[in-house]
Amino acid sequence: MSAVNEQSGRMRKFKNKGKDTAALRRQRAEVNIELRKAKKDEQILKRRSISFRLMEESLSLGEDKINEVVQLSLEEIAKAVNGSNTELQLQATQATRRMLSRQKDPPINQIIKLGIIPRLVEFLARADSAPLQFEAAWALTNIASGTSDHTRAVVEEGAIPAFISLLSSPHMHISEQAVWALGNIAGDGPLYRDALINCNAIPPLLALVSPVTPIGFLRNITWTLSNLCRNKNPYPPLDAVKKILPVLICLVEHEDKDIISDSCWAVSYLTDSANDRIQIVVDTGILPRLVELMASPELIIMTPALRAIGNVVTGTDEQTQAAIDAGVLAVLPSLLRHAKPTIQKEAAWALSNIAAGPCQQIQQLITCGLLPPLVELLDKGDFKAQKEAVWAVANFTTGGTVEQVVELIQSGVLRPLLNLLLAKDSKTILVILDAISNMFLAAEKLGETERLCLLVEELDGLEKIEALQTHDNNMIYRAALNIIEKYFSGEENPDLQPGTTQDGLYDFSVEKQDFNF
Amino acid sequence: MELSDANLQTLTEYLNKTLDPDPAVRRPAEKFLESVEGSQNYPLLLLTLLEKSQENVIKVCASVTFKNYIKRNWRIVEDEPNKICESDRVAIKAHIVPLMLSSPEQIQKQLSDAISIIGREDFPQKWPDLLTEMVDRFQSGDFHVINGVLRTAHSLFKRYRHEFKSNELWTEIKLVLDAFALPLTNLFKATIELCSTHANDASALKVLFSSLILIAKLFYSLNFQDLPEFFEDNMETWMTNFHSLLTLDNKLVQTDDEEEAGLLELLKSQICDNAALYAQKYDEEFQPYLPRFVTAIWNLLVTTGQEVKYDLLVSNAIQFLASVCERPHYKHLFEDQNTLTSICEKVIVPNMEFRAADEEAFEDNSEEYIRRDLEGSDIDTRRRAACDLVRGLCKFFEGPVTGIFSGYVNSMLQEYAKNPSVNWKHKDAAIYLVTSLASKAQTQKHGITQANELVNLTEFFVNHIQPDLKSASVNEFPVLKADGIKYIMIFRNQVPKEQLLVSIPLLINHLQAESIVVHTYAAHALERLFTMRGTNNTTLITAAEMAPFVEVLLTNLFKALTLPGSSENEYIMKAIMRSFSLLQESIIPYIPSVITQLTQKLLAVSKNPSKPHFNHYMFESICLSIRITCRANPDAVGSFEEALFMVFTEILRNDVQEFIPYVFQVMSLLLEMHKNEIPSSYMALFPHLLQPVLWERTGNIPPLVRLLQAYLERGANTIASAAADKIPGLLGVFQKLIASKANDHQGFYLLNSIIEHMPPESVDQYRKQIFILLFQRLQNSKTTKFIKSFLVFINLYCVKYGALALQEIFDSIQPKMFGMVLEKIIIPEIQKVSGQVEKKICAVGITKILTECPPMMDTEYTKLWTPLLQALIGLFELPEDDTIPDEEHFIDIEDTPGYQTAFSQLAFAGKKEHDPVGQMVNNPRIHLAQSLHKLSTACPGRVPSMLSTSLNAEALQYLQGYLQAASVTLL
Repeated sequence: MSAVNEQSGRMRKFKNKGKDTAALRRQRAEVNIELRKAKKDEQILKRRSISFRLMEESLSLGEDKINEVVQLSLEEIAKAVNGSNTELQLQATQATRRMLSRQKDPPINQIIKLGIIPRLVEFLARADSAPLQFEAAWALTNIASGTSDHTRAVVEEGAIPAFISLLSSPHMHISEQAVWALGNIAGDGPLYRDALINCNAIPPLLALVSPVTPIGFLRNITWTLSNLCRNKNPYPPLDAVKKILPVLICLVEHEDKDIISDSCWAVSYLTDSANDRIQIVVDTGILPRLVELMASPELIIMTPALRAIGNVVTGTDEQTQAAIDAGVLAVLPSLLRHAKPTIQKEAAWALSNIAAGPCQQIQQLITCGLLPPLVELLDKGDFKAQKEAVWAVANFTTGGTVEQVVELIQSGVLRPLLNLLLAKDSKTILVILDAISNMFLAAEKLGETERLCLLVEELDGLEKIEALQTHDNNMIYRAALNIIEKYFSGEENPDLQPGTTQDGLYDFSVEKQDFNF
Repeated sequence: MELSDANLQTLTEYLNKTLDPDPAVRRPAEKFLESVEGSQNYPLLLLTLLEKSQENVIKVCASVTFKNYIKRNWRIVEDEPNKICESDRVAIKAHIVPLMLSSPEQIQKQLSDAISIIGREDFPQKWPDLLTEMVDRFQSGDFHVINGVLRTAHSLFKRYRHEFKSNELWTEIKLVLDAFALPLTNLFKATIELCSTHANDASALKVLFSSLILIAKLFYSLNFQDLPEFFEDNMETWMTNFHSLLTLDNKLVQTDDEEEAGLLELLKSQICDNAALYAQKYDEEFQPYLPRFVTAIWNLLVTTGQEVKYDLLVSNAIQFLASVCERPHYKHLFEDQNTLTSICEKVIVPNMEFRAADEEAFEDNSEEYIRRDLEGSDIDTRRRAACDLVRGLCKFFEGPVTGIFSGYVNSMLQEYAKNPSVNWKHKDAAIYLVTSLASKAQTQKHGITQANELVNLTEFFVNHIQPDLKSASVNEFPVLKADGIKYIMIFRNQVPKEQLLVSIPLLINHLQAESIVVHTYAAHALERLFTMRGTNNTTLITAAEMAPFVEVLLTNLFKALTLPGSSENEYIMKAIMRSFSLLQESIIPYIPSVITQLTQKLLAVSKNPSKPHFNHYMFESICLSIRITCRANPDAVGSFEEALFMVFTEILRNDVQEFIPYVFQVMSLLLEMHKNEIPSSYMALFPHLLQPVLWERTGNIPPLVRLLQAYLERGANTIASAAADKIPGLLGVFQKLIASKANDHQGFYLLNSIIEHMPPESVDQYRKQIFILLFQRLQNSKTTKFIKSFLVFINLYCVKYGALALQEIFDSIQPKMFGMVLEKIIIPEIQKVSGQVEKKICAVGITKILTECPPMMDTEYTKLWTPLLQALIGLFELPEDDTIPDEEHFIDIEDTPGYQTAFSQLAFAGKKEHDPVGQMVNNPRIHLAQSLHKLSTACPGRVPSMLSTSLNAEALQYLQGYLQAASVTLL
């Protein structure tokens, strides 16, 4: 968000035009650039390669007789693959697959350079040799699990339609391999995802889901479906979403935690978008289940469920209300107190968006006892979570009624809020100053300005705000100056100062008092 | 301009002339340079000179000129011409980095600044090679060059510390990290290695440490927005090295200077900042390293001396501990009794000691000392940091910490008792310790508001504070006296009232102390005690309780103003004001002497007013003297005028701008004290008050309007008879004010007074003009404020002259004008009027229009009758409409140039609220009912029919309520 946008956002608030919810609710990822390391547990992987270990777990093959494997050089592989002997082709393809299944540094680039991918793609269609189809599919899966360039190398040789055909293979392990490969391709980004969808991958994929599908297979299908829901710019086509959603609704009721997790991730991707998309998800009636899953003891389930609900409450007031009706406010307190900082942060983010709603929703937030955990989080939470908590307070003070703001202050929010003025983050400081201004506006309406002044001073807030008048960031300096001038300037006795009107003018009409000491 | 030797020669000559002390030579040369700076090649000529000139002074001068040129011209402002031609821009960017790096330090700094200005605009898009160009130099091994690069990088990257997160910013940071993070890390490691290989080479170490400081600063900037992946992966390298640098000491990098921080201190201080940054923002990732840093920083504190040069380091280090010890998950690092004891003993107590530097400030720089100690501008001091650490520790360990410190306090007091004259600093530290331990929350207005319950403040006060203040000599151990007085001041809400009463004569006595700090604190403490609130909103300390001390209090306060260094001491003057206000009529016997002293002071300071607060309280004190005395004896006003007018004349004659607004306020107060006709002395001044020059100063406007209002209230008849020729001038002032969006309300104040008090015939000829003026303003630039004032005015006019007169004058300006104003202004906007009296005036005025204006009943205006009544009922019953149109919100920015101008209103010159309809109408709702009743008797049947056809039901219900309350019915 640029400073200019920010500025106009603030102007809107100054004008008390009634708040603009769209502006207060903050969508995920204001910034697309990340400086941080991606954290593994925060996201499921876009791509997965199949190592031996994984293979043993998921595809109970047992046919891999390690001892019998023939060692081949790259040249030999190329020769055999390009030859016409099926047995040699199988041997070479298997050798390739084995190399690519090494957990450490699989030689993807060398294999691509070898120029055998077109042949491997051809092998996918070799219904005459199921083992060859399987080995080729596995090898290609692992190539596609590399970087974007690697995925492209596979796709450009026409692998997508070939894999889609394999979905309907009579051999379950081959169709499962195809599911896996397609998941890797879809995970690359919106372009290939939509290429898959346009090749009509969804119907055969969904057809694989049945009450008798083995768990391991179902996990893979769920993961691939989640990748089909993933990525923005553009979002996945609407009709595709509408096809997948009913299946996700079923999967989310499954008892396997990986399946639940991945289907929650899928829902979280679908909700990380514009309000009309959120509405489609809300309409399925899935929210109560998601809220239930937010309370799951399993981190891999709680995380995506929380993200999904967090996304929903970025939506309209009605959508947010749907999440509230589903019980989100009852679950949030324990998540705000969760040991993991990322959970705290996500929960606080969701809270901040609920606090951006109309005062009725703010009231529910109070009634459900969210203020104590919010104050605790501001006081002791991880910094990332504290930042979100600050937003929650600011939104609360913008949309809350005077009585609600008073209740917030009485819940002890000021001390930790003012302490965070020392935060090493300009945006956070500015948001706090904004919240403080809002509190003063409320205090003014009650004629309690002086009490709030004293409270702020007692909590060492005054000197922190004063110090911000020398901050290098112009907006912070101006916001701090504004508060000081308006509420703390000069004398401790406001009677001695000329009053000013809202325009900043000396206001004599209220100044004419009878002083009788 | 070509790049020729001739041009270089010319430029050299002009640059030389810009250094000439004679402005006659310097100015034209500067003008010339400005006139040619738009030419192509000009910046390149400067760069050539700063590189190649034979004379060093020209080199430096060219570099400064170049930097200023870049500062003024580099930025391309939208819709303005590009001030530097593109080829020059390219050439500058191509040459400036190597040039900077090969220049001597003095020039390097200028060029480095220039690079960062250019970088701010062009980096990274328009200057893609800058980073690689800089990073390549890290390989050079030449630390002069490397430091140049680091310094430039620092000035380019330090904005990451305060800017808001944005895609643009983060894209840039990512780019910088990709190119810079690894080379910086390698440089860091290499530099540290070089430090150990050159451990015996002082000059090499100096350069290397400068690099380390810059590297540590860059680390801070690059890690500020978020924890970059690279630094997370390399945390081990950075933190291990930072940690060992914290523990490093080398005699060769120590400095002898006691005041100025040396390289080692600066480096360690920056490392503390870096650790604090990670601890605050990246706690999860930093946790494994944190305990090591806590230990290292704590050891650092234990081993660092008392010299001023370590202050920044020590306060940074303590603040780090203070921020960590409050976190629940680090509680365990501190909770061991031995740890706590050693932190208290070795970190907190030593840093609370009164040092030689403090003693010096106490004696020689009292004003600064008071500001720091009393007003809390001590954020960076050691004492303050130690105090914060105490508070941080008390969050979890209040009991143990209080226990440990109690022991220290006792032993320090014992030390003091053994030999006070030698050991008085021990007692000072003990008092400071008690104070910091006991105070949990504090404000200027109330002192300490929350105290540690484990500390017995009253006992300490009685046993250790009072004895010092009771000692015979007020000048002995001044620091302890100041400590004691401050103790009373800040714990005034904790110490019981009887103890405060015991202290009052002691404080009065210390007004005589020679030490500026001591007598200032005494005055301030008295002033604070006098403002404490007791029950029923009265003062805690009453005038009766003060009765025995009135004379000595006043005497000592005024005597304190004669002590060296305190002739304009604002604390003393404020105490004088507060004493007057508390003591009220008991000061009357002393007024003759007091007013003489105050006028002498006024005369003296008016020569050169320099202390605004002092001056303000002085005028407040004068006002109080007048009010208190004249309330008891109205005739005394004459003697005040006699005493003051001479000085006032002097002030007006010499145009002492700071004082003029005050003088007008005091004069208003005096004039309002007169019960009879206005004295001639005031009338003589009247024409002068209308001088435009006075009205040009924004700060004069409110008090001058107030003064003219007083003239009109007391002397309208005199003005009409003796100064009729001045009436246009008076209205001119009104016109001037009405023209301004900022001052129009002041113009209305004046106009309202004119209408209310001037005999009608004296303003008859101007009335139409007044309305025309108002209508013009209404048409051209109406604002909410203007409309509010306008509504009040026309209704006041209606009350004064009658509704018919209002209708006639409107319609004489333009046919149907009256209806238009009713329909477009009064009916839709009346709801905006605010203020009790203002609303009442409008209610009475509108009632008159409804009931005493025949055209409302029998012309086309009749259709407005019910809407107007409805609007009036709305004014009575609906909440005020305080919406303001969007475009008016920022009106002050464009339209009030004088916003900053000081007009300090004197509280004690205050004026009673004036209600011009007060006597006429008590309850406006009843008045409406009665008036309607009267109207209905005059034309039976009409009123009920108008009501029943178009008044809405709710309004009708309200109206019936009024009629019932007035016990009347409509016919």
